[in-house]
Formats: sequence, C-alpha cells, structure tokens
Amino acid sequence: MAEDITAIVTSMGFPSIEAFLAIMFGVLAVVAVIVVVSTIKPVLSMYPYTYPNARVRARKGRLFTEKQFSEIIESQNIEEVKNYLRGFPDYAKYIDKYPLEKALDVQLAETYDLLARITPDNSKDAFDFLLKKWDIENIKSIIIAKEVGLSREETLDLVIPFGELSDRLDTLIDADDITEIISALENTEYPQIVEDAIPVYQETGLLLPIEATLDKYLLKNLLRTVATPEDDNTSLLHEYIGTIVDVNNIKTIIRAKSDGLRFEDIEPYIFSDGYQVREWKLKDLMESEDVNGVISGLEGTDYAPVLSDSLSKYSETGSIASFESTLDKYTHETANKIALKNQFGIGPMIGFLNKKEKEIKNLKIIVRGKREQGYSPTMIKEMLI
Amino acid sequence: MADIILGTALAAIGAGVAVGMAGLGSGIGQGIAAAGSVGAVAEDPDMFARGLIFTALPETQAIYGFLIAILLLVFSGLLGGGEGLSVTSGLVAIGAGAAVGFAGLGSGMGQGITASSAAGAVVEDPDMFARGIIFTAISETQAIYGFLIAILLLVFGGILG
Repeated sequence: MAEDITAIVTSMGFPSIEAFLAIMFGVLAVVAVIVVVSTIKPVLSMYPYTYPNARVRARKGRLFTEKQFSEIIESQNIEEVKNYLRGFPDYAKYIDKYPLEKALDVQLAETYDLLARITPDNSKDAFDFLLKKWDIENIKSIIIAKEVGLSREETLDLVIPFGELSDRLDTLIDADDITEIISALENTEYPQIVEDAIPVYQETGLLLPIEATLDKYLLKNLLRTVATPEDDNTSLLHEYIGTIVDVNNIKTIIRAKSDGLRFEDIEPYIFSDGYQVREWKLKDLMESEDVNGVISGLEGTDYAPVLSDSLSKYSETGSIASFESTLDKYTHETANKIALKNQFGIGPMIGFLNKKEKEIKNLKIIVRGKREQGYSPTMIKEMLI
Repeated sequence: MADIILGTALAAIGAGVAVGMAGLGSGIGQGIAAAGSVGAVAEDPDMFARGLIFTALPETQAIYGFLIAILLLVFSGLLGGGEGLSVTSGLVAIGAGAAVGFAGLGSGMGQGITASSAAGAVVEDPDMFARGIIFTAISETQAIYGFLIAILLLVFGGILG
C-alpha cells in the first residue's frame, strides 16, 4: 500500500512523499486555522455576557409574579404591604431603613448600580450614564425641597443614596438656596445645566424648566453614549434607549397638543433628537394642529400603527391615557423582543432592567392606592402597567 | 535524540491535534460555563454544587482527546519504545486525531454555551436543573461521534491490536 501511495505522489509531480506531506500539512493547517478562528470568534463575543446574564437571570427569577402582585394588592393597608415586602431579601434590607417609596427607589437604584458594575466594557458607558438618573433625581428633589421649605430630615427622605453625587448629598441638602446648590455641584457636569435654566425659573417662578433641562440632559446624552453601535449588542442597546427617548418625546407632544400648546411652549421639553423620530420629524410633530395630526405625522415609524388603534378610544373619551399605556406597552414589548432575540448578549440585561422598572412602578401604584382612600383592589389592579 | 520514523512522527501530529483541538474546545466551553456559574453563585450561594456540575460537563471533550492522544503515543512507539508506524498508519493516526480533536472543539464550545444558559435558567427557576442537564448533554453527542470514529480508525487502521 505504501508503494501505491508513493507511486500516486510521484505521478502528481512531487519529488518525494515527504515533500507531498509537507505541502498537504501546510494546506490543512491553513484550513484548520480558518475553521477554528471562524468558529471561535462568534463564541468569544458571547463570553463577556455569560457572567452578567447569569446574575440578571437570577434576579429575574426573583421578580414578583402576577399571583404575588395579586396578594400585595389584597393587603389591607400600607403596613401589610411592608410586611409582605419584608419577606423578600431584595426589599427587606431597605423597608425598615427608609420610607416605603424611597425604599422602592433605592432597590431600583441598586439594580442600576449592579448593571453598571457587571456590564461588559462595550455597553458600560450607557449603563454608567443611566446611573446618573439618580444624581438628576436627587438634584431635582433637593431643589424642590428648598423651594417648598422642607426640613433637612424631610429632604433626606427624598434623596436616593446612589449615583456619582452620593458622597456630596449632605452638602447639597445643607445648601440654603439654588445658588448654593450650584456651588455644591462644582466639578460635576451639572452646575451649567441648572444655571442655564435659572432665568426661566426666575421669570416664571416655576421649577419645571429646571427639571425639564435636567431630564433632557440625561436622555440626550444617554442616547449619545449608544449612538455609534460597534456590534449587535450595542446596536440593540441603541434601539432600546432610542425607543425610551422617542416614547418620552411622543408622550410630551401628545400631552401638549391635547392641552392646545404651541411649538414654542413644547420645544424646551423635547429632546432634540430620537431614534425613529429624528429632529426634523419632531419639529413636524410639534407643529401639528392637534393629537390626530401628531398620530398621522408618525406615519412611517413603528409607533403609527400601535397609536392608531388608540385613536378611536381618544376620540370617544378625550383622554390621552390610552396613548400613554400603548406607548408604555410598546417599550415593554421592545425590551422583551430584544431579550428573546439576543439571549447570549445584552438581551437578558435589557429585558431584566425593563421588567424591574415595571415592577417598581407597579409597586408604587399599589402603595399610592393603599395610602389614598377609596381605591379597591380591582381599581388598583386596573391601574397597574 | 532517538530516531523517529516518519509514520510515528505523523502519529505524533495526530496526537497533538487530538488533545490540542479537543482541549481548546473544552477550555473555551468550560470558561463560558464557569463564567455563567460564577454569576449564578454570586446571586445564590446554593448554586455552587449545581454550577460545578454544569462547569464540569465540557471537560469530557478534553478527556476523549487526551485518551486518543495517549493511545496514539503508546501504539506508535513513542511511549514504551515499541515498533514505529508505517507512513500509511501515520496518516490514519492523523485522521483519528483530527476526528476527536475537531469534534471536541465544536462540541466543547457548544456545550459550554448551553451549560452557561442552563446555570442561568436554574438560578432563575431551580426546577430547570434536570432539563438543563439534558439540554447540555445533547452537545456531547458530536464529541462521542468523533471519539468512536477515532477508535474505529485506530482499530481498523491497524494501529490498535
């Protein structure tokens, strides 16, 4: 047999079997390297997400089920809600430490903080920036507290001990007025943002422009952190954050148009760009005559078909609530779709973040329902997202 | 240095491919499974034993590759000083090494991804353990095919026995 192989090799023009083997191995080695590299590359892109995904899936398993929500809704009063939440370690550690609403916000802030810590490098900027939400909420709360004259203890109950400003919250709370708050914010990105909104505040006496400027800064820059996607994961994160920005803009415009506001009135509260609804489209929408005009102006985006279904309900009731719930539902569906589509990448993190936010919003609705008189469990259930 | 004939040298390449490629697949797979399991244990310390099982599953591919490599080294005369192999048998040995090596590479990586997902699923819902193991074990079949073909090549190629 060896002679046969030697004969074949020689007839092919190779001087010896060694030369043939050397060339054959060279070719095989190149093929093997191509096969190995092309197989390993997609697998290695999943690698950075395996650890964070296992952690968020563990937390997803601890989210309240529909049955558990029903049990909470059936609670007789706030104390029973608190007792129920004490049975869950994620909430128990904050329930006795803070007022209930603050405890819920702190739990959500802890989730943001966890995601920012465990997320892989290519999506870290976005999750780090998302954590600034708590800085902005804290600045807003402290400014409002100063405006309405809350005491130090009352203000302390409003602030969330997360975010980059957590170590200077005491200084901020001790500030006497907005000017001192701005000084206490020195060396951060916020003094200029607050300062820019002060003339309107002084002119109108309303805090809304300051709050809107801060919210605008957060969402605009959050979108910017994911504006140039490097891969599938960052592209999906862009889609999710972009959807949040779009939904916020559309809600504001619908609300404004339903109240008959004009372009100039709405403009300060709109984030100048979006994902599907870009700058030029936003201007068109703001210039629309009424809510119907806004919905038809969205033609060509994914929002038009979902909002068209709510249009008849709006015509019947005159309430924009159906648009808002449709848009919230659309955001949840987008997050779910991403979670299913990209199970080995950023999907589970986006899916979990959205579900956690939804859980906290629903718990706050229940708490409000229990705190105020006249809300039956059925009514509270209907209010849930 | 002892004289090594060409057939034996080819068998040595086969042994290298067997353990190298299978080890590569197993290593990557086990790394992915371990990262997922560590995440699961960080959230639920009771997951340690189950995480360890999921992490250990992609080890088998490296064991198959290692076994074939040892057989090749022994029966090609590199270990134990037996008779060397002919060139033809050496080529068969490369085939056996490639079979278990490449099958182990794909199987190990696939099993690692499934094991990591299974660890995540179990920490989300502990009832998923048995089903997670079944799904993870399915990726083992490719490595078994590679291992069986490697053994058959060694037996019928005249290297074993």
